[in-house]
Amino acid sequence: MQYALFYAEGPDALPYVPAEDNVGEWVDDIEARGVSEYGERLRPEHDATTVRVRDGQVLVVDGPFTEAKEAIGGFDVIDVRDLDEAIEIASKHPVASFGRVEIRPFVQWPDAEPGARIVPDGFAERAPHGRRYLMLVVAESTGERSEPAADAEPSGVDATEDDDPEAWVREMDGRGIRQFGEVLRPPSDATFVRRRRDEVLVTDGGYAESKEWVAGFDLIEVRDLAEAIEVAAKHPMARGGAIELRPLWPFDVHGDQIARAEREADERGRRLEPAAAEALAGASL
Amino acid sequence: MREAYRSEWARVVATLIRVTGDWDVAEEAASGAFERAATTWARDGVPRNPGAWLTTAARNLALDRLRRRGVEAEKVREWMAMEEFSGRADGPRDPADVVADDEPAWDDRLRLVFTCAHPALSMDARVALTLRTVGGLDTGEIARAFHVPEATMAQRIVRAKRRIRHAGIPYRVPTAALLPERLGGVLAVLYLVANEGYLASHGDELQRLDLSIEAIRLTRTVVALLPDADEARALLALLLLQHARSAARADADGELVPLPEQDRSTWDADELAEGLELLEAPAGSDGPADPPGPYRLQAEIQAVHARARTADDTDWAAIVDRYDALAALADSPFVVLNRAIARGMAFGPEHGLDDLALLEASGRLDGYHLLPAAQADLLRRLGRTDAAAARYREAIALARTAPERRFLERRLAELG
Repeated sequence: MQYALFYAEGPDALPYVPAEDNVGEWVDDIEARGVSEYGERLRPEHDATTVRVRDGQVLVVDGPFTEAKEAIGGFDVIDVRDLDEAIEIASKHPVASFGRVEIRPFVQWPDAEPGARIVPDGFAERAPHGRRYLMLVVAESTGERSEPAADAEPSGVDATEDDDPEAWVREMDGRGIRQFGEVLRPPSDATFVRRRRDEVLVTDGGYAESKEWVAGFDLIEVRDLAEAIEVAAKHPMARGGAIELRPLWPFDVHGDQIARAEREADERGRRLEPAAAEALAGASL
Repeated sequence: MREAYRSEWARVVATLIRVTGDWDVAEEAASGAFERAATTWARDGVPRNPGAWLTTAARNLALDRLRRRGVEAEKVREWMAMEEFSGRADGPRDPADVVADDEPAWDDRLRLVFTCAHPALSMDARVALTLRTVGGLDTGEIARAFHVPEATMAQRIVRAKRRIRHAGIPYRVPTAALLPERLGGVLAVLYLVANEGYLASHGDELQRLDLSIEAIRLTRTVVALLPDADEARALLALLLLQHARSAARADADGELVPLPEQDRSTWDADELAEGLELLEAPAGSDGPADPPGPYRLQAEIQAVHARARTADDTDWAAIVDRYDALAALADSPFVVLNRAIARGMAFGPEHGLDDLALLEASGRLDGYHLLPAAQADLLRRLGRTDAAAARYREAIALARTAPERRFLERRLAELG
């Protein structure tokens, strides 16, 4: 089964200890097992840009999609036997020991080939031509959030021509922008994993009070943030929900985590991506 | 028939889930097999191995159903090849041809118990699913036990099954490394069911003996499956020692009788003996874990009561010891409350009242009726009538079941 692992520093997060960050070993382990498909670290929340389309107007704001106290800091795509193997892998990730790992299964389309790969072969090794962004597709809760309308239909997406995500996928594939993307099962099928001291804590992913949830994601490769915003605004889910754009944060898993933590502390609060307004200045939408 | 249903349901469903991979088809087929058994057995008599008869009949129904549903023949053949219980590639089509072979069904049942109690399911879902799938209770029975509408409970169970499929919760016994941790989750579900049976959380009844009996039956199954698990044996001991007193806990009118006033001759001697014996280490085992787990400690507290010939005979100091150990294991306000009561009995009411005052100040049991009730009882023992009366009134306002409320009102009236 294929799962997305999202790493979040929840409200109950403990301090991050760089010296205990063994993410390199973790990556080596899951790659040796052959269950790793792809993973990235995301630039922090203050470099996020959220795109919504309401009444035909594109609304762009800086910052993540939700007021929740936690934000996704990175993700991995894994292909494992079952949830227990996913829990085992998640519990060993360094973030599990101070934050939280969320395990979300991918929607298995009824006509999809079993074992079809989500991440194209060799994608991880390929050098980017442009800037890579993770596009988090965010659905707004309609009260019945916990269950999708039908197994085959991603929730929140109507089957009308106008809302057809396939058309968006075809266009972006044609332009060479979309690298890959998938729809996730709803939060009611999520599992949270934390590790505190030596104990692995597993809970069902019943979300707190958040009115929005990640319904899927696409990885895109574009010239700049302005193009990313244009791509996001065309996605049908921008009309009902929101699209959050998060730049990837290249980092060496075997690098010096202490030096990295110091560097990050240094740039904390400093925005490295252009703000949405700067990005759009001069760009025609 | 009802007995056969309760005892065989889990093994039939468990095997069918493994064979078909589909919880709904498995349950429908099991129901169908029991219906068929009702007529066939009435005519031909009960077969030598009812469980195997039912499993084969249910398997035939499930395969027919899957074929009708248009599942490809290849898939069905694959499932047939996967199943080992018949020992033959195609298995006997007639349940009457089945020979006795119990072993794999035990594995299936254990698989079912662990899947229903998987930590990635919410506690509500775990309890409901365990009672339905392992316990064979119908949705209406479970809904009534937990005082929710039947439609709500039905939806909860449907969602739990759907989540098992979509989240990828495996249908198997966890690996040896995970077993101790996952067994804790299974025991927690059974403990919760039993707790609801021992002291109903609301309504007119004090106890829900059907739930207590169900919890004992399910725990017995787990002990039979994992005989070396000390905490499983201890939980069964705890449930038996509590259940042994159920007849004495209520008088002829269904009114609550507190422990010191219970007629000990009506305690169930067989259940007490079995409970005490379970606390002895089985031959050839290493004995209880060191330090002992929470269920062993709670069972040992009940064992102290069980061994006391009269209420005055109770070794309260031994009980305080166990509560100290429990408090060291888990930071629970309920443990603190019970320890305070025990300390009040062992060392004098003032000690208990001091502990309860600290607990009250912590605010952790705000709104829980047994805190003022315990304070009232200790104040009454000290002869501080006015203060006791005030606490009884608080407790009465908070009490959750009618029998508990009437008991507290009687106590208040007795103060004069």
